[in-house]
Amino acid sequence: MSEPILSLRGVNKSFGPVHVLHDIDFTVRAGEVTALVGDNGAGKSTLVKCIAGIHPVDSGEILFDGKPVHIHGPRDAAALGIEVVYQDLALADNLDVVQNMFLGRERLSGFLLDEAEMELAARRTLASLSVRTVKSVRTPVSSLSGGQRQTVAIAKAVLWDSKVVLLDEPTAALGVAQTRQVLDLVRRLAEQGLGVVLISHNMNDVLEVSDRIATLYLGRMAAELPTRELNHSQVVELITAGRSGDLGLARPDVVTI
Amino acid sequence: MTTTPTSAARPDDLRRHNRALVLRRLHVSGPSTRAALAAETGLNRSTIKALVDDLAENGVVAERVPTRRTGAGRPSLLVLPQPNAVVVLAVDIRVDQVAMALVGLGGQILGRCSWGLRAETRVPRETLTKIVDNCELLIEEAGVEVAAVGASAPGVVRRADGLVHEAPNLQWTNVPLGAWLGKALDLPAYVANDAELGALAEHLRGAARGIDDVVYIGADVGVGGGVISSNAPLRGTDGYVGEIGHMVVRPDGLPCYCGSQGCWETEVGEAALIRALGLPDDAPRGVIAAELHQLATQPAELMQRLGEFAQWLAIGLCNLVNLLCPRLVVLGDLFTELPPKLIEHVTDLVRKRSMVSRALGGVRIVTSSLRNDVKLLGAAELAFEQVLATR
Repeated sequence: MSEPILSLRGVNKSFGPVHVLHDIDFTVRAGEVTALVGDNGAGKSTLVKCIAGIHPVDSGEILFDGKPVHIHGPRDAAALGIEVVYQDLALADNLDVVQNMFLGRERLSGFLLDEAEMELAARRTLASLSVRTVKSVRTPVSSLSGGQRQTVAIAKAVLWDSKVVLLDEPTAALGVAQTRQVLDLVRRLAEQGLGVVLISHNMNDVLEVSDRIATLYLGRMAAELPTRELNHSQVVELITAGRSGDLGLARPDVVTI
Repeated sequence: MTTTPTSAARPDDLRRHNRALVLRRLHVSGPSTRAALAAETGLNRSTIKALVDDLAENGVVAERVPTRRTGAGRPSLLVLPQPNAVVVLAVDIRVDQVAMALVGLGGQILGRCSWGLRAETRVPRETLTKIVDNCELLIEEAGVEVAAVGASAPGVVRRADGLVHEAPNLQWTNVPLGAWLGKALDLPAYVANDAELGALAEHLRGAARGIDDVVYIGADVGVGGGVISSNAPLRGTDGYVGEIGHMVVRPDGLPCYCGSQGCWETEVGEAALIRALGLPDDAPRGVIAAELHQLATQPAELMQRLGEFAQWLAIGLCNLVNLLCPRLVVLGDLFTELPPKLIEHVTDLVRKRSMVSRALGGVRIVTSSLRNDVKLLGAAELAFEQVLATR
């Protein structure tokens, strides 16, 4: 079996006196959905932002495709093939679908933007994901529903041939039906061979869509286990107490914050 | 379903027949001009006008002046099927997941969802409950009316009433899926074997479009086949044809759950591929895909690791080609991810070894162009066949 596409070893991160991430080991494999769960403030979003290059790590190693890498900013992450989709539907409202998908990385023909080429690529990508709910790629993003916006954000990752997609609560702002459509897309991304990290608070979604579950507890990695070996209450215990039976952190009484 | 007519065709029967013919044409081939419809169906131009006007009045089609003009004279109006006018629900039950979609006239997917299946959620009643729940959500979101439901199941299915006799990988026996779906959703429900629907979808909308003799082979956990022969599905008694995964290719091989030993499935199914790739037994579909994509870039290593797998694939394919004489073989599901180099190699082997292939000047072997949606679209077609005939 080949190397994990992304792995973190002993990553630490502090904001001033607050030690947010303690010696985190975290692995993302190509073709798997790894769910990242934890209570509020457990360090999920910080971990994602460290991988995305928004926060530099204080110590520890990040390996991409088996090779150590240094991610100094979002551009480095994008160049490696790491794409992030945020919970707050982070697209530019005043731009259309094509412009959003190519934002900051526009294709040129001579000195002009190659609009036709970009439109074609955007359409092809949406079709390859069999996303047919977005009517026209020239619709301004402001007129799309939450689910459609999230679909566009995820399609962006496919367009740029990303290897790892990090989804930070992609369904937090969505209704039930739209959540189902986005989760369906998440599954299909992994089936195409991408490494997917899904942050979610909804246990049913996590158990349904993920292949592995990584639980953060107060900035430590409590457990990283195949989903099939876990049940609902075990995951909840891991999130709230950092341990469940033999699983999780060994002695919670000596854990210091 | 051809029965000898016992009475003369009345004009309104004839009209209904022609209307279904035009609608079917638009559904399968997409928008076309009135002139093209007349030419293809062999109906009189004024008949076409009357039928299209009637369909347009009911909102099933819309008419537009074509933007690109060909030839001289007044352009013939373009007839566009309206996806929202006739919608069916498609359900694809696989071993590790269930996928659902609302499919509109013309084969457009209007909304979709899916969920993973695990040992404890794989029981028939729970699966049905989730299908019904999700169906309501999908319909509400899309705001459409559903005319029928078509479902695909990985097992031996009785076409007449949608009874799933045996779906060993799901551990289902004698599940009246068709009756349950029909009752729970209060819609006409049709169920068929997954590979058979794969063949139907590829034949109508995918890689096998316009080809009259096709074999579709799907590898989910098990391996199954669907056959289109002389432009019609090959069914056999009660429609059980196609358990090609269980033809014996290696009498001293591994035992198979079907009761036999050395079935083709034990050499080329998901478990065999996982074994050949050296992945852990429970590797999810995406991990297999990622490994195969990576191998595609390393030709030397590819043949070293999958050489034997390719041999077994070729042996089964030779048997099938010799037996069924297709012009094209479409490989679906997991096989879609196989590297193009490997497919080429297998095609060469089949061309060398099969007499029938030599006689045909070389049978083509390709991977599915509808990929993961193939069975969803097939299930939708199953429902559309019935809906459009009575519309």
